[in-house]
Amino acid sequence: MNRKILNIVVNGESHQVLIEPHWTLLQVLRNEIGMMGTKENCLEAECGVCTVLLDGKAINSCILLAGQVEGCSITTIEGIGDPEHLHPLQEAFIECGAVQCGYCIPGMILTAKSFLDENPGCRPSRDEIREAIAGTLCRCTGYRKIIDAVATAADRIALSGAKQ
Amino acid sequence: MSFDLHRPATVTEAVDLAQRFAPTARYVAGGTDTVIQINRKKIDPAHLIDVACLPGMSEITETADAFALGALTKYRSIETHPAFRGNLRVLLEAASVVGGHQVRNIATIGGNIVNASPAADFVPPLLALDASLDITGPKGRRSVALRDFIVGPGRTNLSPVEIVTSIRFTKLPARSATAFLKEGRRRAMEISVVCVAACLTLEASTSRCACVRLAIGAASPKAFRPEQAEGYLIGKPAGNESFAEAGRLAAEASSPISDVRASAGYRRGLVAVMVERALTTCLQRIREQNQ
Repeated sequence: MNRKILNIVVNGESHQVLIEPHWTLLQVLRNEIGMMGTKENCLEAECGVCTVLLDGKAINSCILLAGQVEGCSITTIEGIGDPEHLHPLQEAFIECGAVQCGYCIPGMILTAKSFLDENPGCRPSRDEIREAIAGTLCRCTGYRKIIDAVATAADRIALSGAKQ
Repeated sequence: MSFDLHRPATVTEAVDLAQRFAPTARYVAGGTDTVIQINRKKIDPAHLIDVACLPGMSEITETADAFALGALTKYRSIETHPAFRGNLRVLLEAASVVGGHQVRNIATIGGNIVNASPAADFVPPLLALDASLDITGPKGRRSVALRDFIVGPGRTNLSPVEIVTSIRFTKLPARSATAFLKEGRRRAMEISVVCVAACLTLEASTSRCACVRLAIGAASPKAFRPEQAEGYLIGKPAGNESFAEAGRLAAEASSPISDVRASAGYRRGLVAVMVERALTTCLQRIREQNQ
């Protein structure tokens, strides 16, 4: 085995993991670090359930070799809020009933977060939201409420940003 | 599936590694194509050479009369760059239809070019801008026009040890505009059924076409410039009639296949319509610039 040490920061915590060269970031997150919120499905970057933030930007962890992210900072769904302190996106998803089976939701929320972080203070139109989450598929056909939730969260984040 | 992953710090180191491990070595950048091909067992490299972090290859550089895009430039950087909102809009329009946000945050434009898929969305815009590539290999550097670089589906004139480092094109003269159109079976996350890039320049004081460059993707074994259609338009008044004829000539020059996405006949029909629409969009944009 030609295993190598990988140093990564996941949700603010440093990890050293012994990895094989062909392991993807998704495999490392789930199997080695135990972040099960990041889901596995198509393994071809088509569906977006494996989305995590790499240095703040949404990427598909299923086709990114873990060895390529040495020294990088990863945020998973576990890293943006907890039951006592929900992220505004998580709050809005609950309020709007945007979660059906839930499998796509970690990816959906992180994709939306990446988009909102990239456009601070923006209140995107429904079309812009659709475009932003196009790389993340919901198979329960629940897009309408998901878009409601992202719009609600965007409004609140913009409002709290304006107050500060 | 088993390989070693190498992470060289410079282009020279990367080329040395590729030479040492040739022919079982392969470069990888964003990995959005390479890793899928490995998983599908279409390729089986023993050595992957990660070029994603090589220095100086992710910048978009503007000079007085030209642009240079580092080969590791991400689609997202093209989409959000202010320079591509004006008469180089073709780049923004093509970058924004590649994959989803997640793919555009990591996939590189150099990767799209060297993959040489006939349906690569970023190739037609660069062909329409008459771009050329800077390449580094064991014997030093060379430059090649993009239109000579891609030789067939998945085939380029790049040797396995060479690296494309940047893509260059000159700025457009006054009274120019560009446009990119894509048709797929759905709007997002889709491989093009046909895509068309157009670059139109009008004469200084008339509405006649002074320079026309068209490029068509997914309608031939490689993206191509329909030279007859381009030549036909030179000196002709820009408008519906001449644009429709250019579309017809471009469709005639295409050699599409029938596959799961569309029939050859449908693709040929699309080429005619999309060339006409892309040129009409360019003309509208030139008029808007002058208002």
